[in-house]
Amino acid sequence: MVNENLVKNVVKEPYKYGFITDIETEKIEKGLNEDIIKLISQKKEEPKFLLDFRLKAFKKWQKMKEPDWAALGYKKIDYQDIIYYSAPKQKEKISSLDEVDPKLLETFDKLGIPLTEQKKLTNVAVDAVFDSVSIATTFREELAEHGVIFCSISEAVKNHADLIEKYLGTVVPASDNYFAALNSAVFSDGSFVYIPKGVTCPMDLSSYFRINSGDSGQFERTLIIAEESSSVSYLEGCTAPMFDTNTLHAAVVELIALDDASIKYSTVQNWYAGDEEGIGGIFNFVTKRGKCLGKRSKISWSQVETGSAITWKYPSCLLLGEESVGEFYSVALTNNLQQADTGTKMIHIGPKTKSTIVSKGISAGNSKNSYRGLVKIGTKATGSRNYSQCDSMLIGDQASANTFPYIKSQQPNSEIEHEASTCRISEDQLFYLQSRGIEFEEAVSMMVSGFCRDVFNQLPMEFAAEADKLLALKLEGSVG
Amino acid sequence: MEIIEKIKTNKIDENLTEIQKICLHKLQSSPLPNPKSELWRLSNKSKFSNFLDYSVNEKDSKFDIPYPKNSKSTIRLIIGENCETKLIERNYSIQQLSEDELQKYIKEQIYFFKENENWSDLLNLSLSCKNNILGLKINGSKIPPIEIFSHASSNSLNAKTLVIFLEKNCDVELLQVNLGKENSSLSQSTFFCLKENSSVNHGVVSYGENRSNLLNSLNVIQQKNSEYNLGSLHFKFNYARFEISIMQSEGNAKTNIKGMQITKKDEQISTYTKIEFNGPNGFLDQINKSLADDESHAIFEGSIIVPKIAQRTDASQLSRNLLLSKLAQIDTKPQLEIIADDVKCKHGATISQLNEEELFYMRTRGITLTEASKLQLSSYFQEIISFIPISKDKWDLLDKLLNEN
Repeated sequence: MVNENLVKNVVKEPYKYGFITDIETEKIEKGLNEDIIKLISQKKEEPKFLLDFRLKAFKKWQKMKEPDWAALGYKKIDYQDIIYYSAPKQKEKISSLDEVDPKLLETFDKLGIPLTEQKKLTNVAVDAVFDSVSIATTFREELAEHGVIFCSISEAVKNHADLIEKYLGTVVPASDNYFAALNSAVFSDGSFVYIPKGVTCPMDLSSYFRINSGDSGQFERTLIIAEESSSVSYLEGCTAPMFDTNTLHAAVVELIALDDASIKYSTVQNWYAGDEEGIGGIFNFVTKRGKCLGKRSKISWSQVETGSAITWKYPSCLLLGEESVGEFYSVALTNNLQQADTGTKMIHIGPKTKSTIVSKGISAGNSKNSYRGLVKIGTKATGSRNYSQCDSMLIGDQASANTFPYIKSQQPNSEIEHEASTCRISEDQLFYLQSRGIEFEEAVSMMVSGFCRDVFNQLPMEFAAEADKLLALKLEGSVG
Repeated sequence: MEIIEKIKTNKIDENLTEIQKICLHKLQSSPLPNPKSELWRLSNKSKFSNFLDYSVNEKDSKFDIPYPKNSKSTIRLIIGENCETKLIERNYSIQQLSEDELQKYIKEQIYFFKENENWSDLLNLSLSCKNNILGLKINGSKIPPIEIFSHASSNSLNAKTLVIFLEKNCDVELLQVNLGKENSSLSQSTFFCLKENSSVNHGVVSYGENRSNLLNSLNVIQQKNSEYNLGSLHFKFNYARFEISIMQSEGNAKTNIKGMQITKKDEQISTYTKIEFNGPNGFLDQINKSLADDESHAIFEGSIIVPKIAQRTDASQLSRNLLLSKLAQIDTKPQLEIIADDVKCKHGATISQLNEEELFYMRTRGITLTEASKLQLSSYFQEIISFIPISKDKWDLLDKLLNEN
């Protein structure tokens, strides 16, 4: 019998990104109404079409009900008690990084995301988002040489309004769901990426989201457009300070891949998860969806979810183009009283479309970890193929692991396979490793790492190392 | 929806049994299942209302049993006809449950009913009159095979209820046949209670005719060390729902389920299973197969619930589906809900058509395409049919299925 306490110690690890940056911020008053939306739009000097988009979304949101089908137990959110816009105060226009408040740079430095010229991560362009605004984007000139546009969405609204108007809300319409509607109404910042025809993005793009303020929500919006025969790898990371209150994070991510384009979107989510009693933590309600519009286009989602008190997230692919490919690789680790309800939707519409789903869930403590997925093969998707694999690992007898895959097929000339398993850490393997002189904690960590290997292999280099480290940190406890 | 109107408006008749009154009372507060709930969401609304369109018939017409009795020893019972059963032999006894026993047991069950999940049972129990409830207590050893028939007459809705107590250390083979006549609706609810160390091979064959409907609900409670094997087959129904709920009340029990549903034309047949482990060392092996052709729709939803108490549970669930036509649809949703950590649980699901490589191979050996498809189908069916007791050699279900294909 595995010593329960030992295992529990192994999964205990203090949250090291929980510090608060003491910086003067500009906040608007709490609450949500048309005036607030107009104010946000005005602050961001947005064109009229965007304000109309926001107001329309707000009207829809008012008519919608908060979804309860995920059976996540959380305190009702008071949407009028949230600040919808919060930005660090800084000079009007920033022409170079030198003008960014050093405190902000320090914050990102502390998070391991250096933004200053000397320390820039090699070959990764970073867009750093602090509460409601993007504060810096690195390597912009180098990217511009290749015609790649990488900037905050507020800048894109000003400089590339045509692209925003054409694509915003085409993958995740404002009426899609409750949280997407809320985001469409109040979204503040996020990243915008445009890869022109035939360009392979010369470096990985990355955005880093930081919530600093305890009473404001973060509603970022990301839009990535990959033109014909282009390709890009995009990384996303998130952290937040420790507060006793719950902070709402409702993001929307839209990806569009045209003919032969490929987008790889990787996330390491490490929002503050709340303490052992479940006090505080981020409510993470995210809508992520990619549209494979073109022939042979490919969208690949990979995610490592370790933070947040509540995660509600289903990165999906709409496979419209012939022979388009959708992939989803996920590791979700929950501990204490965390709840994660995550999975994917693969909607096969075009012929010969393919999708792969690999999901690994690890639940420890009193947490609840669910995989919820949909694979749908439409009538025109002849010769389509799906393979799904969902494995869960339970650590301790208080945690729960659920699997809810939903498969719908309307096309006989297609093949769907799904398999799922649930197990605990194998005592035999543990015993074997220990008998070879490997310490208990390291053995558990090795086994978890092995369990997640299929997913880690899909992560870009920089992230694979970070993800491995993150899981090891969460699992190694006293050793780490 | 004549019945629902009646339920909604009518005052509860004094002549009804106590159980009927309780169920009617429950139904009055929510006369129809919630169409948005997962269990009823995919149900075809017009077909479902067609089920309820017939008026209730308490007496049925005579019907022809579809195959000859295979041996003299087989015990054959027809719900609604042989309600007075008392067979006491040297080794075994099959007796009717007393009114009190029946009432007590059903009332206990109703107590745990949830409005949406057990809507079919509530409807059944509120409509099925005393004559249409068969309650049996089976005891002893070397019990001959038992066949129980239940049928609906044309142009009417019949509600039949079967309650079986399998006493300790008892071992039996039981085949339940539900027959739907042309334009009929049958509501069949079965309550099975397996006491310690008992074992049953239970077969459920539901065979409809032109435009017949079926709501078939099966509730099983397994005490420790019991073994429940279920082989089921549903076909030729305009609309059929098969709801299985199995509870291993103290764990340490074995459950094997092999089910199949075949849909053609515009039929819709669905299977919903819920298996709960309420104790340690439970075992489950479940396979559900569907075949959907023409414009039909086959649905499978299975949930396995393993609470903290159910350590060392070993459960597997597999949903295999064949989709043979462009206009047919298959929905499948296997589910696992697990809290216990020392468990082995897995599920799988596949949807495909007949294996082309195998077909090609057989054709290169001179077998025609039709023959080759038949061969493939027969192996697909055989796994399930061979698991259905009694019928396997006498009532040739396989031939019946293949000829209709």
